[in-house]
Amino acid sequence: MSLATPQPLLTVRDLRKSFGGIHALDGVSFDLIAGEAHALVGENGAGKSTLIKVLSGVHTFEAGEITLDGETFQPASPNAAKLAGIQVVHQEFNLLNDLSVAENISIEALPRTRLGLLDRHAMNACARTALDAIGLSDVDVTAPVRSLGIAHRQLVEIARALQSESRILILDEPTATLTERETNRLFDILSRIKANGVTVVFVSHHLDEVFGMCDRVTVFRNGKTIATEEIADVTPPDVVRYMVGRSLDETANTAPGPAPDAACALSVQDLITTANSTGHGISFDLRKGEILGIAGLVGAGRTEVLRAIFGADPMQAGEITKDGVRLTIQGPRDAIAAGFGFVTEDRKDEGLILDMPIAANASLVDLASVSRKGLLDFAEERRMATQGGARLKLKYGALADAVSSLSGGNQQKVVLAKWLASCPDILLLDEPTRGVDVGAKAEIYGILRDLAAQGMSMIVVSSELPELITLTDRVLVMAGHQIQGTLDRASYSQERILQLAYGQAAPTERISA
Amino acid sequence: MTTAEHIPVATETRRLSIRAVVQNAGIGLALLLMIAFFSVASEHFLSANNITNILTQITINLILAVGMTFVILIGGIDLSVGSVMAFAAVVAGKAITLPGFGPTELIILAVLAGLMAGMICGIINGAVSAYWSLPSFIITLGMLNIARGAGLQISGAQTIYSFPFAFEEFGSKLVFGIPVVFLVALSLVVVAWFILNRTVFGRLIYGIGNNEEAVRLAGHNVFWYKVAAFSICGLCAGIAAIIYMARLNIASPIAGIGFELNAIAAVIIGGTSLAGGRGSVIGTLLGAFIIGVLANGLILLGLSDFVRQMITGVVIVVAVILDHYRAKYAGS
Repeated sequence: MSLATPQPLLTVRDLRKSFGGIHALDGVSFDLIAGEAHALVGENGAGKSTLIKVLSGVHTFEAGEITLDGETFQPASPNAAKLAGIQVVHQEFNLLNDLSVAENISIEALPRTRLGLLDRHAMNACARTALDAIGLSDVDVTAPVRSLGIAHRQLVEIARALQSESRILILDEPTATLTERETNRLFDILSRIKANGVTVVFVSHHLDEVFGMCDRVTVFRNGKTIATEEIADVTPPDVVRYMVGRSLDETANTAPGPAPDAACALSVQDLITTANSTGHGISFDLRKGEILGIAGLVGAGRTEVLRAIFGADPMQAGEITKDGVRLTIQGPRDAIAAGFGFVTEDRKDEGLILDMPIAANASLVDLASVSRKGLLDFAEERRMATQGGARLKLKYGALADAVSSLSGGNQQKVVLAKWLASCPDILLLDEPTRGVDVGAKAEIYGILRDLAAQGMSMIVVSSELPELITLTDRVLVMAGHQIQGTLDRASYSQERILQLAYGQAAPTERISA
Repeated sequence: MTTAEHIPVATETRRLSIRAVVQNAGIGLALLLMIAFFSVASEHFLSANNITNILTQITINLILAVGMTFVILIGGIDLSVGSVMAFAAVVAGKAITLPGFGPTELIILAVLAGLMAGMICGIINGAVSAYWSLPSFIITLGMLNIARGAGLQISGAQTIYSFPFAFEEFGSKLVFGIPVVFLVALSLVVVAWFILNRTVFGRLIYGIGNNEEAVRLAGHNVFWYKVAAFSICGLCAGIAAIIYMARLNIASPIAGIGFELNAIAAVIIGGTSLAGGRGSVIGTLLGAFIIGVLANGLILLGLSDFVRQMITGVVIVVAVILDHYRAKYAGS
């Protein structure tokens, strides 16, 4: 590697930014050397995306300093960042699907004729040059973006980013939706871009890719940068160790867990969700009173498994057997009748009716028991909500208050109360404590453990490893819609889970090879 | 402060705040100010005759608006109610002029035929838009044309008339100066209020408008509730058709043009959110009164119908702007 030039192109010193009480960036420092490929890695929520948004002028920062070419840099808007030569290719595409490739590439500065009309000729020529520059000569610039595959859309987005004068190209998880062949092509193109002197910042969850194409890597954890290393000097397990942190706060589950001979409550065989295009399903068993965790990165297919079991989405294939009886679940209604409950990932979009009173939210699943012949029995509804609230230590003003008036933790308790009202024997939970403060988290863990001790079985999907380690009896780790491994409580470690989640099934062998 | 102002809850536990009262009473207050102004500005406004007039005039719009409230509460819209009303009237008109039946049989037959015709249109609107998850705006725009065309086809573009005497009498009958047809509309308001506030069905109508996915995941059949909301709207168009026939003694295939817009206006002025999930049928009642009183009062003041139309338009826009602020404060 030729990284002799000591003068960095961009430096970031002790950057801080918080949203509400949450420190998204809590001391971020790193620098970019002109012409390098620099990887940013870290768990979900470690601060990578926030940093990119600050650099690209979407967010402002509260403290710290950024310099570009030795001068203070503080982009006030995305446009200002673009003018300074910083281009971002976001995880979600920003393409206009019904316009042509050429129109998309030139959208920021459409060429005009002297009469002020759109100069199609110049626009198409311009787009041709831009696409040829990254080796995309097989794409027709007049074709609508909708007609292109995902990989090509990604590359069109890159071509657009490079269209204007760009010095730094930031790619936020560019390979998340690509096949291996497409990824290789992207890397070819990126190395050509790099050769032209553009600095590439690469955010990825795939360490193979990071080690395959980057010169240096900066690791994020909890809003801080932990280390910046030359790729040549580190190994993937080193990077994983940085991401996890050396001091693992072991607040392990001390509850007894299910009896070793507990009956099988749920058996899932060869389940293929609609999002799973691999053709291979997953299978697992859940014992009575067991809390089973599912770990994995975003996009690993965890939520899809819960939704398929619950009938919220159809499944491609698979068999679900509960208490020895094979189930056909057509929709949530069947699942509820079969004794399932589903605490969804996003309580605002899927869990709660925010404008409605607490009592009305709590009774939504089990309206039958607060009504007679279709007429609501408000006294019974209040009684049930009071009882459910007391059981979950819910803090509220009045049951008639809108649920939106509650704190995140108490809102989540209302979601729980809603599902517990129908007395399920299997509870599916997707990110059960997201956006919930530490105190309420501990309370919710306690409640869930009590329920498990009473014989309720649970499947918990979580991106927070400490949560899985604290709460569950067993963890499945998923990546690419497959189960990469199963860990028992005795063998829990954040490192082990992350290694599996990052597809580093056998890291030691790989390094020695 | 609760944002649940329009959402049915048991009143004993509802916390009252001055702002909540002002917000709920806002529309009523606007109506009272309007009535006060016209009473001073025109000596005829509060006369028994004119009150009877106003009540008669708002009846049809109120009935259509009650049905529309259900559809808007689930986040939909029904542009077809005017045409469906005409179609139902033509169907009922054909039934009531059949030869060989006694007047009582004919009236029963016509009422059933008219209500069925309206309800079937509503079921189609709801089933098509809910099954394929299509915007009800487009589907009911289609129904607007289909029902209008069907009405013209069946009637041969002719107005149908000469109904049994008892039927005509019902249309013009007064009880203590109050038109019976208005009492029918008012009782529909009461029934709708009861359904929306006291039944599981009503609870889920609000729920679907607020967060359809949450209701679906709670195991409720969202499709069925959507179809039901649209069929209630169609049924109300059928009821409006019968009232219309009884009042005017004709069934015209070109009746009801533009009525959907007045019905939507009444619902929106009444504080129901076009986004769904928030509003009340009591608001709709007040909204229909505001439109009716405004029209009547402006005519008494000697203003042209064109000016009246402009002012009604302004009132709709102002009502929506006020609702925007109300939603914002309620959210904070």
